[in-house]
Amino acid sequence: MAVGEERSPDNGRPCLVRFEPSGLSVTVPAGTLLGDALAQAGLSVPLPCGGQGRCGRCVVQVREGPVRRRSALRLSEADIAAGWALACQTLVSGDLTVWIPPAEERVLRAEAGDRAEKSAPEVVLCEEAGPPWVAAYPLAVEPPSMSDNTPDLERVQRELARQHGLREVRPTLPALSKLPSVLRDGDWKVAAVVERGDWTTPAGPSRLLDVRPTHTDQRVFGLAIDIGTTTVCVYLGDLSTGALVAHASAFNGQIERGEDVISRIIYARQPERAQELKERVVGTINALIDSMVEREGLSPDQIVCATVAGNTTMTHLFLGLEPHYIRLEPYIPAAGRFPPVPAGQLGLHMHPEGLVDCLPAVGAYVGGDITAGVLRSGMHEQEAVTLFIDVGTNGEMVLGNADWLIACACSAGPAFEGAGAVSGMPAVPGAVEQVWIDPRTLEPTWTTIGGEPPLGICGSGMISLLGEMLVTGVIDKSGRLAADGRSPRIRVSEEGPEYVVAWAEATARGRDIVLTETDIQNLLRAKAAIYAGATVLCESVGLAITDVERVLIGGGFGKHIDVEKAILIGLLPDMPWERFTYLGNTSIQGAYLALTCQEARARVDELAAKMTYLELSADNRFMEAFTSALFIPHTDESLFPSVQESLARARGSEPGPGARSEGSSEGGSGD
Amino acid sequence: MALSGLAIYKMLPQTNCKECGFPTCLAFAMKLAARQVELSACPYVSEETKAQLDSAAAPPIRLIALGRDSHKLEVGNETVIFRHEKTFYHQPGLFYRLSTALGDQEFSGLLDQIASYQVERVGVALRVDGVAIQDASGSAETFAKRVAQAAEKELALILISADPAVMEAGLKAVEGRAPLVYAATAENWEKMAALAHQYGAPLAVRGKDGDLEGLAALVQEITSKAKAEDLVLDPGTRGWADTLAAFTKIRRAAIKKNFRSLGYPVIAFPGEGAGADSLEMETMLAAQAIDKYGSLIVLDRFDKAALYSLLTLRQNIYTDPQKPIQVTPGLYEISSPNADSPLLVTTNFSLTYFSVAGEVEGSGRPAWLLVTDSEGMSVLTAWAAGKFDAERIAKAVRASGVTERIKHQKIVIPGFVASISGELEEELAGWEILVGPREAIGIPSFLRQMAA
Amino acid sequence: MSAAVPDVKEIWNGRIVEVTLGAGPDQGGTRRTTVTVGGQNTLPFLHFEGQMPHKPVVAVEVRDQAPDDWSELLVQAWGDVLSDPAAWAARAEELGAEVIALSLDSAHPERGDTGAKEARSTVRRVLEATGIPLIVYGPGQPDKDNEVLVAAAEEAAGERIALGNCEEKNYRTIVAAALANDQLVIAKTPIDVNLAKQLNVLIGDMRLSRDHIIMDPTTGALGYGLEYTYSVMERVRLAALSGDAALQQPMIVTAGYEAWRAKETRTGEGVPAEWGDWRTRSLLWEANTAVTLLETGADIVVLRHPDVIPLVKQAIEGLMQDSPVA
Repeated sequence: MAVGEERSPDNGRPCLVRFEPSGLSVTVPAGTLLGDALAQAGLSVPLPCGGQGRCGRCVVQVREGPVRRRSALRLSEADIAAGWALACQTLVSGDLTVWIPPAEERVLRAEAGDRAEKSAPEVVLCEEAGPPWVAAYPLAVEPPSMSDNTPDLERVQRELARQHGLREVRPTLPALSKLPSVLRDGDWKVAAVVERGDWTTPAGPSRLLDVRPTHTDQRVFGLAIDIGTTTVCVYLGDLSTGALVAHASAFNGQIERGEDVISRIIYARQPERAQELKERVVGTINALIDSMVEREGLSPDQIVCATVAGNTTMTHLFLGLEPHYIRLEPYIPAAGRFPPVPAGQLGLHMHPEGLVDCLPAVGAYVGGDITAGVLRSGMHEQEAVTLFIDVGTNGEMVLGNADWLIACACSAGPAFEGAGAVSGMPAVPGAVEQVWIDPRTLEPTWTTIGGEPPLGICGSGMISLLGEMLVTGVIDKSGRLAADGRSPRIRVSEEGPEYVVAWAEATARGRDIVLTETDIQNLLRAKAAIYAGATVLCESVGLAITDVERVLIGGGFGKHIDVEKAILIGLLPDMPWERFTYLGNTSIQGAYLALTCQEARARVDELAAKMTYLELSADNRFMEAFTSALFIPHTDESLFPSVQESLARARGSEPGPGARSEGSSEGGSGD
Repeated sequence: MALSGLAIYKMLPQTNCKECGFPTCLAFAMKLAARQVELSACPYVSEETKAQLDSAAAPPIRLIALGRDSHKLEVGNETVIFRHEKTFYHQPGLFYRLSTALGDQEFSGLLDQIASYQVERVGVALRVDGVAIQDASGSAETFAKRVAQAAEKELALILISADPAVMEAGLKAVEGRAPLVYAATAENWEKMAALAHQYGAPLAVRGKDGDLEGLAALVQEITSKAKAEDLVLDPGTRGWADTLAAFTKIRRAAIKKNFRSLGYPVIAFPGEGAGADSLEMETMLAAQAIDKYGSLIVLDRFDKAALYSLLTLRQNIYTDPQKPIQVTPGLYEISSPNADSPLLVTTNFSLTYFSVAGEVEGSGRPAWLLVTDSEGMSVLTAWAAGKFDAERIAKAVRASGVTERIKHQKIVIPGFVASISGELEEELAGWEILVGPREAIGIPSFLRQMAA
Repeated sequence: MSAAVPDVKEIWNGRIVEVTLGAGPDQGGTRRTTVTVGGQNTLPFLHFEGQMPHKPVVAVEVRDQAPDDWSELLVQAWGDVLSDPAAWAARAEELGAEVIALSLDSAHPERGDTGAKEARSTVRRVLEATGIPLIVYGPGQPDKDNEVLVAAAEEAAGERIALGNCEEKNYRTIVAAALANDQLVIAKTPIDVNLAKQLNVLIGDMRLSRDHIIMDPTTGALGYGLEYTYSVMERVRLAALSGDAALQQPMIVTAGYEAWRAKETRTGEGVPAEWGDWRTRSLLWEANTAVTLLETGADIVVLRHPDVIPLVKQAIEGLMQDSPVA
């Protein structure tokens, strides 16, 4: 039966509440909290948020009888219609039958019902990818004779033309040098690995990269490589099917030489140090390739092409280009479009003749990772005005639609990638990804990726934690720890004031997991930079941030981002949750798309050419917007009405002095 | 009505041909919206678009020029009510009034002082813009003589007389000089406007006691019947609140309502103010006129100290707030430092400077603060852009002359740029480079430890 | 002859909060006069478009020990009272001060390091010597501020004094002291609209009511950043009148303190002749700083030189005259 919303309950009247499946029952006065009735019956449901209706973990199903709900924030309309209710937010209004689902189901329900959770897919593919750049062509070659003394190469070329329509295939030297023996060892049945062209000359000429005996593995593979300032990620794909075969990621080996692009550019001022940085990132990539090749039992020569998406600086350092002028006014990279480079010249562990494709950059701080991201997002094909935000170290974003695109970057720092915080880590198993704090005891409850004992906190965990700390008053709106003396978890260590998320004994490493005030300031700067960048980008074309119809989010948050909490801390603009889509690592996905689809690769060049680059360091408005955003959620709280509401609810008070009064500012000639 | 970048983009060819010198049509459109480029840079724009964009660019307050060539003064052409909205473009002209009642010696003595006054402040030479010759006797001959005398100086001129005959004598004495004719009133406007027209001079229009409807009507008469277009307004108010109200209304009517009849610069006479019976009160009323919308300010009491304070105020208010807020680079003394006091270095972004200087001052320990020219960027931003590196800091140390004022060779750099200390040691041979705290808030305890 | 002129009145839907400094015997204090500022719903002195129920007031700076780095002009003008804060405050009141701004300078660790006891005694003596409201400033060093301002707040319980400066780094203690003793705070931020607003929000989040907060946007003197304060104050006031509740606090400016730090006022020798007479220049330096800040929204102007008091008061009187302008 449907559960009615009774406005004026007859408080005090005794009501019989029966719990299923246990069959226990209690009699309580009307107006009793369902959670209290549960406790009286000797039953318990967890209340990680301290009974504030924020986490949705105490969900039960009211199968019969009337209740009154204080809040149904975590429940959809369909849930409510089906009788689902939060025990901590529901008052008994009559005789009831209540079903308590098993713990696992409650967790699943809470997560599924959490409309704010956005999940990302692994890869997307072109619907019609067309033929790959490189493929292995089986060839049956007529053995030579005294009457047909055509040399081996011409013989293979003749058959490639005859059997596969491939004309004027130019051999590479390594292929040519092994050709005679492979032909004879393979009894004149071989596979020719041919590159039919590249993105600069799609129609050819074709190149013969390799010849293989037929009894060996004929598959050929490509790499999509995302060189992030902080994290490097590699996808290995089967070129003939487009299928993702393996993936791996690791911190960029350059980190030891500086956390951000500026430090690395400065470090690279001497040629030997530039060479060192190049070797470090190639080393990181090679280690990832090696692990995948070994796991899949492949030979490095089977990897015949690679598509690289990196920010402009990372691409420069990877190719060994002079990065210096990226940093200095007027911020000019050596190139926007990069030439095809044989892998052997870069030292990558793959076929040395295979070409490496670095996706085009738009400006000094908007690189191939972003053009790849836009490709992945598909915003360049939509009518709707879309904002695409890549929440990474450099905090790039793109605004626009099919008609126009404008991009900017705002140095956000690595805070959301788990670097630069005492207990920060990437979104891998063991990372705390969700946190609730009980507002009375200030005790936290958390979940980790993979349910393993906690190792540290990833970006999503940081967002979640920061939001909870704000709502429960652990920090004030400037991010300073404010609940002095209210809990042993708030303490002052050598690093300064901090909050203990997990005591050493509960963790995988036996060390307290903490969030320090300095970490919080870094997170604040990161979120402020991103929000400010988004605001200024919109304003630069005369739009308000609320004019944005869709927000696409990329970044290394793992599988989820909690949009609600991201809005709560002012990282994302306050908009209906359905306008947000989380895409995960858009850079690697875009690179993978460009790797596996010629059509998509052509699109990247097109969209890069029409993207306008807005340089924020020359923009006074950015500094202003940044200071304004350096507050939780924002100095102008009227931009975050939903946050004002939830804070007022959490603190049981009227909105504070930050609230704007009703009505528009007709006379506002100033701001 | 200003158009947004996107609105302009939609009127452009959208071919991204790059011939305008910008990488995309949108980039060009944004520059157009910010009025940083001319539409003519686009070879493919349509006539229709041209017409639309031109009409969006007309200034709401007319630009008026007094004088020509070296003594030319331009006022007006303002586009905003508050300077933070964009900037105030043409600083008000400061004038001194010299009466024909003055004796020969007194007149030329004052005139010389006014004309020769020049003082430098932050690298800019500040001067008086002109003199206003006040007809006190009704004698055309005396007036013409004094006007001619004033015209020998490099000064803009205002001619003040209610008598058209006297005015004409003055104008004739300085033909081609385009002085401001002060003033057309409801009584004499036809003759005054005719004179202004005849001599190619701008014309002040004087209303009564802040009656702006009367003033606007007079302006409409003059512009429609006498064909005078270069006007300056005097709403006739002389006190504090009434002048503020009148000037504010004129500015708002012009800019917010695009009301052409009040779209002209305004003139103030603080020396005539109710209660302006002292140099101080006259100067303070003049300060109000600088702060709030005065375009020409005619003073009666020449005093160097008062003038210097007004010139400084004018320079302050008319700086461009769109430029990063910066302080002047150089060596700052905080709490009277001596030869043993520590030397700290930071950038010239104002917020950075204020936080650092504030904390040093709060620490109670005297110190030298060297502010480098980072073009208004904060420490991290400047470091990122190569504007706060070892080379620049070393150069600033040498240029500041601090080495002659301190006995030690230690310099404290911000914690955020700890990485440059090695290079700075190379640049500043023999110096000890100390890495200070990252945030200004850590300075007091840092200085305490340093002294310990 | 008359033409239709468009109506340029702004309709503001925000109003500045009324803040009362000082409490008389019927409110639990001992002040003969109290001061109320704020309440306006218009930009400064635009009487044609809204009300400005309270005029801006003049406060005069008094220190708890004789300043050793003040301009000779100030030392001469005040004379002997500089070494006795009670006498100094009484003299300031005679000269027209409407509020005393007492600075507990001697509590600074480098300038005397006096403590709570001395602070209580000074506050008591100044209160007894005057009948006007009091602002008490700490030495600007967080630990000592906390110590002496809490003492001052307790000593002056019932007097509705203002405690300054309450800044982002120390606001929690000072607000707590204000809450416990029903005093006001002066919320000071460094020349930035956002920072000003943030501090007001933080203070509000501690439940100090809005009629207990006065903002100090940080003053730049004439020639030394005055234009930044001018623009920041205009922006603060525009936002407040447009309805931004977190910026609707009255503003205090320290025109005297800033103007007298300038080279132009500190010294009469070795400066260009074009700078004119030292005393005239100095007085006008302070007065023109004050006028400019009054024009942009100052509600309390803290002055230093006795002869500037009547000048600024005369300007305020002129600005408050609501003579109709058509």
